[in-house]
Amino acid sequence: MCSTKDLRVGVCSSTRMHTDRRNFMKLSAAGAAALSTMSTGAWLSGCTSSNAASGMRFLRPEDVELLTALTPSVMAGHVGPGDTDKIDRTVKSFDTLLGDTSQIVVDLVMQAFDVLNFMPTRGLMTGQWSSWSKATVQDTDDALGRLRDSNIEPLNAIYAALIRLIASGYYLVPEYLASTGYPGPPTKVQGDLAQVEAGKVEGTP
Amino acid sequence: MTDLSTITLGSTTDPYRKAEERGWDITNATELAAPLELEADVVIVGTGAGGGTAAENLSKAGLSVVLLEAGPLKSSSQFDMQERAAYRDLYQEGTGRANKSGSITILQGRSVGGSTTVNWTTSFRTPPETLKFWADSMGVTGCSVEELAPYFQQMETRLNIEKWGMPPNPNNDTLRAASEKLGYSWATIHRNVRGCLNLGYCGLGCPVDAKQSMLVTTIPTALDNKAKLIHHARAERVWVEGDTVVGVEASALTPDGWGTTGKTIKVRAARTVLAGGGINTPAILLRSKVPDPHGRIGKRTFLHPTTLSMGIYDKGIDPYYGAPQSIYSDHFQWQTIDTGPVNFKLEVPPLQPAFAAAFYGAGGDMLTESMDKLINTQCMIALMRDGFDERSQGGSIELNDRGEPIIDYELNSYLLEGVRRAWHTMVEMQFATGAKTARPAHKEAEHYRSWTEAKAAIAGFNYAPHKVTVGSAHVMGGSAMGEDETRSVTNSDGKFHHLSNLYVMDGSLFPTSIGANPQLSIYGLVLKLSTKLASQFSA
Repeated sequence: MCSTKDLRVGVCSSTRMHTDRRNFMKLSAAGAAALSTMSTGAWLSGCTSSNAASGMRFLRPEDVELLTALTPSVMAGHVGPGDTDKIDRTVKSFDTLLGDTSQIVVDLVMQAFDVLNFMPTRGLMTGQWSSWSKATVQDTDDALGRLRDSNIEPLNAIYAALIRLIASGYYLVPEYLASTGYPGPPTKVQGDLAQVEAGKVEGTP
Repeated sequence: MTDLSTITLGSTTDPYRKAEERGWDITNATELAAPLELEADVVIVGTGAGGGTAAENLSKAGLSVVLLEAGPLKSSSQFDMQERAAYRDLYQEGTGRANKSGSITILQGRSVGGSTTVNWTTSFRTPPETLKFWADSMGVTGCSVEELAPYFQQMETRLNIEKWGMPPNPNNDTLRAASEKLGYSWATIHRNVRGCLNLGYCGLGCPVDAKQSMLVTTIPTALDNKAKLIHHARAERVWVEGDTVVGVEASALTPDGWGTTGKTIKVRAARTVLAGGGINTPAILLRSKVPDPHGRIGKRTFLHPTTLSMGIYDKGIDPYYGAPQSIYSDHFQWQTIDTGPVNFKLEVPPLQPAFAAAFYGAGGDMLTESMDKLINTQCMIALMRDGFDERSQGGSIELNDRGEPIIDYELNSYLLEGVRRAWHTMVEMQFATGAKTARPAHKEAEHYRSWTEAKAAIAGFNYAPHKVTVGSAHVMGGSAMGEDETRSVTNSDGKFHHLSNLYVMDGSLFPTSIGANPQLSIYGLVLKLSTKLASQFSA
C-alpha cells in the first residue's frame, strides 16, 4: 500500500501529469498557455501541501473543503449545505472509493483537486476566486456548470470525474438509497442455508 | 413494485468451500514467506474466459498447469450483492479503469474467473460477418463458421448456454416492445446459467453459483486435475532465454492489490499462455520487451464503445432486478460491414443504484430527481462495432512509468457520429413505448418530455469526448492474430510470431471487435487453440 507521502511523490513525478500537461497545451483558447503554466504551479503547490486529513486515507484538508462545498450542488434536493453529517459521510465514502480504485485513478483525481484548489487556476476555471469554504450553493452550481459547459476538454473531464465520484460516493452509503425506492438485494447468509421463499422467485430447472 | 430484499439466500454450492476435501492446490501469494519457484508443462496468466477454458482443456489432456491470477479469490460464499464490495474486489481498478483521457470508463473483471465472474451472462457465437471479415481482410485462417462450430457447441454444452426461458424483466421487455413498434428485429439472448433465480446480480458476483462462470466450472475441473492456482500474483514479464520463452515471472501482491509484498513467483514451463485480456496481455508483452519488429503489440485495441439513454416511465421497471440482459436488437448492427457509419448492437444494462448514478453523467436536480425515479427507469445501451471501417483503427496500450497499462483510445468523429445516431434511435424507442421523459447521455442534456423536443436537442449537441458518456465492458484486440507478421502479434493458432513456446489465448487475439458480447467468442476460440497446443505434447 502506498503511503500518503509516496502518493504525493507519485503525483509529482507521474507520467500522467505530463500527459495532462500536454492536453492543456493543446488548448486553442487564448488563455490556454497561461492555464498550463499555472497548472504547473498548482501541481508544485500540491506537492508541498499537507498530508491526508484526519480520518482520510487520501483527501487532504483542502480537498475535504472542496468536496464539502460541491456535495450539496451535486446532490441537490438531498443534501443541503447545513447537512454536515450527510456531507461528511459522502466525503468519507468518496475517500474510501478512491482506495478501492488504483493509483492511476488517485493520481488523476489529486491532480484535478490541485487545479481546483490552487487559487489562480480555481478562479480562472470555475469563477470561484475565494476559498471553497466561502462558496454558496449558487457559487458551486455555477462552478460545476462552467466546468461542464467549457469547450476545454480537461475541464469537462474534471467535471465528469467529480460528479461520478461524488454521486457514487453518496449512493454507496446504504442509508441514502431509500430515496431511490430500491428495496435492496436479497439478504445473503453464510452457511448452508439455501432458502428461497416460495412464490417470491422461481428458479429455472 | 417488486421487492426481493425480504428473501434470504444461502449457498450450498460454493465449490471453494470444499477445496481442502477435494485436494485443491490454491496459494494466496500475499501469504508467501519466501520466493516461490515452480515448474509445469504450461503456465497460464489469467483465469478469465481464456485462461479458464485453456486450464480445463490442457489439464484434461494430462498436462501439469499453473494458473496465475492478479486478482483475489472470491466465491459465492462472499458474494452478498452489495455494490461497494463487488466493485472493490471484482473489477479492475475498482471500476475506475478508464482510457487515457478519462472519457471512457472500462469495466473489466479482476478476480479468479476474470470478467466471467461479473459479466451479465450474455452469450453469442462470433457473428459470421466478423469471421468472414477476419478471413478476407485480417489474414486469419482456420476460423470459419464451420471450423469453429464444434468448439462453440462443446462450450455451449459445458456452460449450459441456452436461450433464456423466463419472461424478460421490464427493462429488457421495453427493448422488445420498442423494436416491435418501430419495426426493428429483436431476439432473445442465450445465457450461461444453470438454476438461475432471475435475481439480477450477475454483475456483483452470482450469489448462488447459477452463472456458469469460469470460477465455478472450468477452474474447479482444472483444480480437480491437479492444476495449481496462485492468486494475488501479478505476472510482470515472460521469462525469455535466447529465442524461447521458458516461463513467467510474477510479483506477490498485498491483500488490497495496491502494492507488492516483495516476494516473487517464478514458473518455469514448456509453454507459456497469456490470458490476461485485452489490456493486461499486451502490457505483459510490452513489459517483457519481447521482439516486436512491426510495432504491433498493444495496437488495434477495441472497446465496443457504449453509450446510453435513460427513459423514465409511469410504470414500475425495477431495472436492478431480473436477468440483466435477455433481449437484444441487431437491427442496426450489420447494415454495412466495413463502410458507412458505425453500426451498433442494442441491449440494456442492469441498474443497481451506484452504477446508475455513475453513468447518469449528471449532477444536481438532473441527477437526484431521476435517481428518485429509479424504480421507473429504463436504460438502453448501444454497443458500437469498432475496428471494421478504416476510420476505426482502435486504440493502443502503453505503459506508464510504473509499468501499468494506459489505454490510449479516443472517441473520434466517426464514433461520435455513432453516438449521435444511437441516441436518436434509443430515445425514439423510449418515447415509442410510453416514456414520460428521456435523457440521452450528453452531459448538457435535460430530461426531454417529447420525441420532438429530444430530437432537436440530439441534433444540436456539441459532440466531443467527455461531453458524451461512453463506457466499455468489452476490451478486445491488442495482440491480434493473423498470418501476416507485419499486421499481427500471433499466428492464427495464438502462437507469438517472434519467440518459441509463447501463446496468447484471450480476447486480445481478436483483430477487430466482435460485434457481440465476447465471452463465447473467447471460449470457442481458446478451446480450439488449446486443443491444438495440447496435441503438441502428445506428438
